[in-house]
Amino acid sequence: MKTIEEKIWNYIDGNCTPAEQEAIARLIEQDEAYAAKYAELLALNAEFAAMELDEPSMGFNYKVMEAIRAEQALTPLKATINKKLILGIAAFFVLSILALLVLMGSNIQISEKFPVNVNLKLPDSAKLFNVSGEFKKTFVQSFFILDVILALFLTDSYLRRKKAAKQA
Amino acid sequence: MQSKLSDIELIEQTLAGNQFAYADLVKRHQRFVFTLAMRFAKSREDAEEIAQDCFVKAYRSLGSFQGQSRFSTWLYSIVYTTAMTFLRKKRLDIDSIDDEGTFVQVEGHTSAFDTNNVENKSRSFYLNQAIEQLLPDDATIITLFYKGEQSLEEIAQTMGIETNTVKVKLFRARQRLKEKLERNLKHEVKELI
Repeated sequence: MKTIEEKIWNYIDGNCTPAEQEAIARLIEQDEAYAAKYAELLALNAEFAAMELDEPSMGFNYKVMEAIRAEQALTPLKATINKKLILGIAAFFVLSILALLVLMGSNIQISEKFPVNVNLKLPDSAKLFNVSGEFKKTFVQSFFILDVILALFLTDSYLRRKKAAKQA
Repeated sequence: MQSKLSDIELIEQTLAGNQFAYADLVKRHQRFVFTLAMRFAKSREDAEEIAQDCFVKAYRSLGSFQGQSRFSTWLYSIVYTTAMTFLRKKRLDIDSIDDEGTFVQVEGHTSAFDTNNVENKSRSFYLNQAIEQLLPDDATIITLFYKGEQSLEEIAQTMGIETNTVKVKLFRARQRLKEKLERNLKHEVKELI
């Protein structure tokens, strides 16, 4: 059950249905209690609407813009690095791994016998260093392992970013 | 003469890298944001800190503003959240402000709004004084409704509550404000007598 005050506030705010609006208007005209309350709340409404806003200090606008500038200056390097550069480095490593796999694949010798005889050999053109023996083997293995680690690292960071974006 | 740019146009210019456009946006909304912050902070220094923080936060997230609501509604929701966080941090003793025993009442006085005998202070002084004595939520609803040009739906969006709850809260806030205003004016009348 709404009080007179509640009904009249709704009437003043225009939150009534047309039928309610009409009924309250009639009550204000005919009922002295309604008329007095309406006059009081109307005066109060005008009083509230005349409320003055506070003024911040003179340098407020300048302070806000300074804070924004300071924040931009403090942006970590991570956020300012061009994403294309990161993607370029990633593409280089991915291509290196693929090239290495293709070169190795082209040198696989498959015999008719089972099990498959796999003989991994780098072509002469791929011999960048004129080194032989254990050092060459260790170097190729290290390079390959490094590439695998980098590939895993990049995949991990990509998946993390994707997950974070999904959660945001 | 260049016509006044809309909030959306200023946002677009800001996102394109024009910081002066954001300075204009701040200038346009700073009074209201500061007033809202004052409803929570009660001291000008703290209110300025909150207001500044809000504008920096808004700048940071300007790219995520999709224009589905008015910029002011979006900005006021940032103000409300920031101010609430501030309140929680500061643990202001808001109950003491609302202490009923602080004021003196004059018996048999029906309404204070028809009294014009207190002339040494303006009506707005008493109104601001009464608003300061309200709880932050009541003061915020009153301010958003009367000075923020916000509809009940927009206030609900700003405060993260239902529209019907806003309607009820607005009604109660008005009643409390009326009581405070009457009490303060009666107190002044008694002092003069």
